[in-house]
Formats: sequence, C-alpha cells, structure tokens
Amino acid sequence: MPRRSFVCRCEDVTLLELDHAIELGLSEVEELKRYTGLGTGPCQGKECMSVLVSHLVRRGLVDPTTVQPFTARPPTEPVTLGALAAGLPAEPES
Amino acid sequence: MDADERLLLRPGPERPAVSVRWDRDRLVTARRGDTVSLALLDQGILETSRSAKYRRPRGPYCLQGDCGTCLVRIDGLPNRRACLTAVREGIRVEPQNRLISGPDPTVLIDTMMRSGMDHHHFMVRPRVVNQIMQGVARNLTGFGTLPDREPEHPARHEIHRPDVLVVGAGPAGRAAWSVLSAAGLDVLWLDRRDRGGLGTEAGPPPEALLPHTGVFGVYPQEQLWAAMSDVPEQAEVLRSIFPRQVLLATGARDPIIPLPNNDRPGVVAARGLLRQLERSGARLRADDVVVIGEGEHAASLAEDLGTEAVAPERVDRIEGNPVEALRLRDGRRSCRLVALAAPPAPAYELARQAGASVAWESGGFAVQRDDDGRCVREPWPVWVAGDMTGYLGERRAAMDGERVARALLRNHPPASPSSPSSRP
Repeated sequence: MPRRSFVCRCEDVTLLELDHAIELGLSEVEELKRYTGLGTGPCQGKECMSVLVSHLVRRGLVDPTTVQPFTARPPTEPVTLGALAAGLPAEPES
Repeated sequence: MDADERLLLRPGPERPAVSVRWDRDRLVTARRGDTVSLALLDQGILETSRSAKYRRPRGPYCLQGDCGTCLVRIDGLPNRRACLTAVREGIRVEPQNRLISGPDPTVLIDTMMRSGMDHHHFMVRPRVVNQIMQGVARNLTGFGTLPDREPEHPARHEIHRPDVLVVGAGPAGRAAWSVLSAAGLDVLWLDRRDRGGLGTEAGPPPEALLPHTGVFGVYPQEQLWAAMSDVPEQAEVLRSIFPRQVLLATGARDPIIPLPNNDRPGVVAARGLLRQLERSGARLRADDVVVIGEGEHAASLAEDLGTEAVAPERVDRIEGNPVEALRLRDGRRSCRLVALAAPPAPAYELARQAGASVAWESGGFAVQRDDDGRCVREPWPVWVAGDMTGYLGERRAAMDGERVARALLRNHPPASPSSPSSRP
C-alpha cells in the first residue's frame, strides 16, 4: 500500500490532495470542501474540520481570528428514515 | 487465537462471557460490558470496512461515536456504530463496504493511484469510460445494503416540553443535571451513548438519563430540538423536544493527526481507547500501544494507558496492516495499536445550529458564550458547558457544568400561567 497521510478518512482526502487543491488557488474552508469532498462523508467533518483549519492556519492561508467552519446541518447524529417518518402528521382519512 | 495473543488484559473480577459472531462464521468471545469495537480489537480483528476512494482497509478510530469508520452491519441492520454498541449474546456483526471476505481486488486502486486521485479529472473522457467509472464508483462507495427485514415494531414519536433539555452525560452534563434536578426542574437529559459507556468512579449514570439518544438537529424557527432513541432490539423513538431552556455539554472530538499511514486499522484515538478500556475493566500491555501527541495532554493520556508519548515530528510513518510498528526518525517502536492524542476539538455543531457563534481557539472551533455560559437567547436560552467551550478536561468540565447550571437556574422563568400545551 502506498504511504498516504489522510486529512479526511471518510472521503479519502490526503494531505497531498489538499495541498494540490491549495496550489490550484483554493484556500477557503468552503472551497476546499467542495473541491476535495473533505468533510462530506459519514462523520460530516467531526474528525477532519480542525485538521483542515489547523493546516490552513499553519500555512498562513486563513486568518485565525475570523475563520469559520462550514455549516453543520442536521442530521448531526444518525437518524433513520423510519424514525423521521414517525414524526409525520397522520394522513387525513380519505 | 491463543489467549496470549489477545490484546486485552483483564485484571479485575471475571465478567460473563458473551459470544459474538463476526463476518458470517467466526465466533468471538467477548466479556459483558465490552462494545463490539473493543471485542473485535481484543481478538486482533481491526479491519471492519474499506475506504470509499482508495479501498484501503479501515477500522474503528475515535471509539466514541464521531468518526464513522467503525460502521458495521449488526443483526441485519446496516451502518451501526460498533464503538457505541454493547455486545449481547449471539449478536451478529458483519463488515461493510467490502466486496468479498478475504483479499479484495479493488485494493489495486490504491496501488495504481499512487500519486493521488483528482476526481475532477479522473476518467472524465471519453464519455463511455466516464459512464463505466461512475457505475463502478457508485457501487464501491455505498454504505452497506438495506436492512434484512422490516423492523418488528415501527418507530414511535414522542413530544416533550421540559423546563430544560440537557444534552450530554459526560462530566459537565452530569454535574449540570445534578444541580438542575435538585432544584426540582423538569429536566430531559439525553446522551447518545449507552449506560455502560457513561459510568464513572462515582458509579453508573443516574436513572433519569435517557441513553442511546442522539440529538440530530436543531430547528430554531420551529423552536424544536429533534432526537432519536435507538435502543438495541426496541422500536426507535423520534423525540420532538420543545424546551424552555437548553444546556449543551456535547464535549470535544478527537481529530486525526496527518501522518503517513494514519488510516491503518489499529490507529485509534487515545481518549476513546481509554474510555473503552475503563468500561470493560481492561488494560493493555505497555509494549502493545504507543501514543502520538505533544504536551501535557498526550503525556497524561500515555500515562493512563501505561505507555509513552512520541511527538508527531519524530514519526516517519506507521507500518503494517494492521499496525505493527511506528517507524521513527531515530528508530522503530513495535506496537499493535497507535493511540493519537491531538488536542480535542470542541463539538460545536448543535450549538451552531441553534445560532451560537464559534471562534478558532487552540486547534478547534470553541462555542462562544457570555460570562454566565449563555450562547443563544432566542427563541430559547441555550447554555453551554465543558469541553465544547474549549477543551477543559474532566475535572474542570464538571466544575464548569455546575457553574453554568446555577446561572441557568437564576435565569429560569417562573412557570408560565398558560398551560404548557399552549406552547408550540
């Protein structure tokens, strides 16, 4: 197996691939998420967000006083479609 | 496998044996109280799935419900977190996202794409190649297949209108709950973990706690907090919660450290590993585990695990599949587990959905709050305590939970004259 240093294991984004995206001119959290897919797997950034931002801060690409994470929308924990369906109002009788 | 090859030492009183069936036909003997992840680790079963893109072997990492790489199929249900599921007699556990048991031909992708894969340019043209690639990729990266059968009991829906919703039963949440319940408030107290994962030196968590219940979303416009209770072998319960106030104590998460081969099965988070060992009354041989991390945080975790901490700069790479050793710049250290101890990053997601702001502080996004501990005022006051405001550690997190709960009490409005059902 080749040696790889992962930033995001859910979507298999390596440090090399992150730096490649940065070389292409991307530098913001949102842009890098969209280009590499980082943070879009099952963990939704719980493992990789701080790794990404630490890297960007260290490289001087973002201002640590203003940088923000990408939006963490529901569901932040697993939920089944069956459970969500249980919350629907009862169907009107036909 | 010989008892000697087992990873765990079990010095305490012997716990009852529990049989786990792994990957169709392998019987694994676990001990009551173990999670599925720990039972598999004990037997040297570290690989539970393949990664999405390079098809590399993966296993549990964070061991506390965050990372998503311990997802397995349990008793016919896909995408169960092995690290949060306690073993029970006869439980069936199967790997996911693997084409076949044994050698997997798709590992060739990893070898062929040695210098990385940019999916914006990879096999995009000619069109027919792209279509074939898309078809293959979609099949490779799926997460399990549908459940074996419909659930025996359909999911239920419950509506709650508590005085206070408390999320999290770690040190801060537990301290806060004690203050609020002693004051006689109607408190709904939730944690996604099971009771076994929430015990402390003071004993198991109080009965009032609703375990196995993860809050998955906040909807400020509807004034709603949504959770699901997912107790094994019971009907799921969707919970629509309309609280008067909220106290969040969701803790902090353990980020990965970007090092060569940091994805190998056997690389785990030191904090999660320690919690798993505690709940099972188990420990590791000092030779079997090494911590990677810097400073006091890593040193103290290494001490608790009975081993040493190595600074990330000293590490050249992790070797073996599963882990066999750390290749250091100045030598080699054999081990069976590598425990990462990066500074924990606050779990800010729910607070931010509720409208809180976050700021980058020493390696994570910390939830910002006023002096009393409040981060949101409308449509309900939301208070935050413990590690999610910046990593504090267990003792200080508990003190913070108590302090913030007292501030919440001072703020608590008298019972509204209208009946509770008039609220949304």
